[in-house]
Amino acid sequence: MADHPSGLRTPLARVRFLGSARSGTTEAWLIYLTSLALIPLTLGFVWLVLDLLHKDYNGVRETLERPLPSILLLAFILAGILHMEIGMRSIVVDYIHGPARAWALLANTCFSALLALACVYATLRIAFT
Amino acid sequence: MATTDAAAGKRRPRPLSPHLGIYKLTMTMAMSIAHRISGGALYIGVLLLAWFLIAASTDAATFSVFSAFIESIIGRLVLFGFTWALFHHLVGGIRHFIWDAGYGMDPPMRDQLAWATLIGGLALTLIAWSIGYAVR
Repeated sequence: MADHPSGLRTPLARVRFLGSARSGTTEAWLIYLTSLALIPLTLGFVWLVLDLLHKDYNGVRETLERPLPSILLLAFILAGILHMEIGMRSIVVDYIHGPARAWALLANTCFSALLALACVYATLRIAFT
Repeated sequence: MATTDAAAGKRRPRPLSPHLGIYKLTMTMAMSIAHRISGGALYIGVLLLAWFLIAASTDAATFSVFSAFIESIIGRLVLFGFTWALFHHLVGGIRHFIWDAGYGMDPPMRDQLAWATLIGGLALTLIAWSIGYAVR
């Protein structure tokens, strides 16, 4: 784009014919979707933690080997970590400018993906060993 | 000095529109940033969940390290903070759903919803911790 910095063109004229946003609402939609899912899942997670609170290692294993706590944990982890990845993305684009922004976005996605993998792996390992 | 800046080839920063600093802090503003802060805290706090799950999936000795931490004073404080952040963000999210549906935007109601977020988050945290200490 060869727009002069102090050009007289309106913002609308500057973006016209550059294509539609198309996937522009994906982030907003996913935040809504995961938020809604996380209302019951968070309450379920807190209930699970309260149940595990006074149990020893064997008690914790016995509880987490059952299907319902396992599935609840997996759903909470997946919805929660997707939600926090998108949330941190919006914090990054609000506060971090310049080249650092790309690195921050990269770090956010990598951190979230690794955390999700670690949690899912551990949950499945408890369930199946 | 200011007049020599241009001669020295330095650009003075462009004037910015009035930002947060000049406005009186309102309850909705406070709860807006509290939503971000609690979300950021949960972002780090999920590491605690990962630690718990990995320790529980490994063996009893590894799990006892996690247990010792979470039962310590610092561990309890961290868990309390995590609980508060979790419930505050949950109640704040419900408030955003109410606003996004088009309700509660008028002056008395929006402040009441902001207060309800703070009080609701704290109340749910205290209820959860009371149950945690009472039920054994």
